[in-house]
Amino acid sequence: MRKTATACVALAAVLTAAPAVAQDVKFVGIFEMSGPGTTAGTNFKNGADLAIKEINAMGGILGRKIAITSSDTASNPTTAKALAQKAVDEQPYILLGPVFSGSVLSSMIVAQEAGLPQWIGGEAANITQQGNPFVFRTSFSQAQSMPKIANYIAGDLKAKSIAVAWVNNDFGKGGRDQIAKEMGSRNVKVVADLSTEPGQVDFSAVVTRAKQSNPDVLFVYLNEEESARLLRELKKQGWDMKKNPVVGETTLIGQKVIELAGDAANGAQAHVGLTIDAPNPLLTAFAAKYEAAYKAKSDHNGIKGYTGVYVIKAVTEKLGKFDRKAFAEAMKTAQVSAKDNPGVLMSVCFNKDGDLDRDSYLAVVKDGKQVIEKTLPPVGICKVP
Amino acid sequence: MTLPTLSRANVAALAFIVAMTAGLLAAPLFLKTYGVYLLSLWALNTVAAIGLNLTLGYAGQISLGQAAFLGIGAYAVAILMKAGVSFWLGLPAGVLLAFAVGLALGFPALRVQHHYLAFATLGFNALVFLVIRNEEWLTGGNFGIRVARPELLGHSLRSGIDYYHVCLAVLAVTALLVWLLLRSPWGRAFACLRDNPIRAESLGIDVRSYTLLAFAIGAACAGVAGAFLAPLVNFIDPSPFGLVPSIYLLLMVIIGGPGRFFGPFLGAAIVTLLPEWLRVADVWYLVIFGIFVVALMAFCPGGLLAVPEKVAAMRAARRSARGSAAGQAGARP
Repeated sequence: MRKTATACVALAAVLTAAPAVAQDVKFVGIFEMSGPGTTAGTNFKNGADLAIKEINAMGGILGRKIAITSSDTASNPTTAKALAQKAVDEQPYILLGPVFSGSVLSSMIVAQEAGLPQWIGGEAANITQQGNPFVFRTSFSQAQSMPKIANYIAGDLKAKSIAVAWVNNDFGKGGRDQIAKEMGSRNVKVVADLSTEPGQVDFSAVVTRAKQSNPDVLFVYLNEEESARLLRELKKQGWDMKKNPVVGETTLIGQKVIELAGDAANGAQAHVGLTIDAPNPLLTAFAAKYEAAYKAKSDHNGIKGYTGVYVIKAVTEKLGKFDRKAFAEAMKTAQVSAKDNPGVLMSVCFNKDGDLDRDSYLAVVKDGKQVIEKTLPPVGICKVP
Repeated sequence: MTLPTLSRANVAALAFIVAMTAGLLAAPLFLKTYGVYLLSLWALNTVAAIGLNLTLGYAGQISLGQAAFLGIGAYAVAILMKAGVSFWLGLPAGVLLAFAVGLALGFPALRVQHHYLAFATLGFNALVFLVIRNEEWLTGGNFGIRVARPELLGHSLRSGIDYYHVCLAVLAVTALLVWLLLRSPWGRAFACLRDNPIRAESLGIDVRSYTLLAFAIGAACAGVAGAFLAPLVNFIDPSPFGLVPSIYLLLMVIIGGPGRFFGPFLGAAIVTLLPEWLRVADVWYLVIFGIFVVALMAFCPGGLLAVPEKVAAMRAARRSARGSAAGQAGARP
């Protein structure tokens, strides 16, 4: 009896699901859900899933619902490449992820050969410098964010010397090279070049060396967990953030960092491309929805995944059809305003390389909260609507 | 002329090899590019594991630096190809380099054994990783190097299936060479070295040369695998050549059964393919994989290929117990 009932339910499910499946538009996600990239990859995935759920509830894209299958790259470029291959086999409309730049570099070749548009979370500058017409960013490249920081350090803070603490992986090394270049052109001297390991636990030597070099500003470019450990060590060794400001990028004062570093994060400043604390009601609403869905606060990677999916929706609907090649072509000049498409949260434009441009913020941590000090205008690589 | 008589075990092994070869050649007919890519990866991992099995399983020298040799092969090919040199010239260069470095790494093995040697090779792996990562002018550092697929006799190997066949051929040739080596006096000398080095020396085996050779040949196998890995992935960066991949290669040998010829084939299949098959278990896939490995090591430390022997031994023990019990019963007046 129970077997018959189960069979009936299964049959009913198949019958009702079948027409919907036929019309679904397929997305494939490859994210860092284990290994050193877990925080970044999981946030990105959650953001994308949230957007897909909302879009499906509103009737999908051009009347078709999004069906996404996601898998874990284990933060390993070789696995990421294998999964990109698997994604190509499934003939999806869009490939979402990965987030770590090394995995992006190994997987993007596969997607490019198959003409599959890929939406990535990586920030290394060289990703979009290889003439791949199918790769698109969901955040600033280091080539755009570093000049903004350099202007702030040399202009607003009037620093003459800087110490750079960076993590020795593709992300950190890329950022270190860019900031050193930008500082050089503004006559700010790099007095200490402090390389650290991914997953490093003890930062006492790094802080000691930074103190000895006595820089006007300490620039920090580490992943989230390591940023928190460095901030704690700075506090332990009595670093005065008022006298020698500690400045970084989004990862220095991310939600996760503030949770882990506690008091020690107070006073840290950073250029933030995407933050739920921005003075923008759309972002505030997103933050609430994300927290309700996942019982955790979204970091910038959550916003990347969420806005990425909404940009895909906006561009596809303007195009009026699901055509991967036409989509990639349309992306080269895409401009999506937050007024017409609230899901993108902030108005954004793209250039021919797949790089994007939009407003960003300068934030400081006060009493365990990110506070936006000022809004920085777009860099100007394309026209933000 | 009399035909060589084949024992039952040999016939079984031969039948297994024929069936496996046929299955592997036919596999692309049933697989999409993803499956073909995974099988190519399996073939190359097996080549590297065969090398480690020689060093560890046959010659008894534990090494936690096999991924470093993979890296030496891969980077030699990638750097030379970037400089415009053909892959087919880069390949022997990479293998020779791995062989030479392997020979050099054999020297600590002359002084230390077991876990001390494991740490010496671990240190070596860390050293190679740091060189690859930090010498950006040469290796591209964290940003890696893009590697194109080579051509073979004017035929491009861009297609996944073509390259898979190349990987299979590489595996077949390596396996055959190692099989011949193991059947030569060298192979017996390696086993002698593993089982009782003092006795080996007293029998006139040059322990020094054979230890160095075991390392060098094992390293050269990894060099071959690395040289073909770079064009397979089309991109190399330092991450696949760190400490964790070395441990995975060791796991392949241990899971399959160290000192058994087909051990690396099975071990590489499990370590490379099982996590992919387990993906249906979603977020739990790595957990299940971990539990499987722990259970295997706890219940069958000799590896999977030792399972049939273990079962046979248990049966024989039960039979002899029953037999002796019956004998005792019969002997009773």
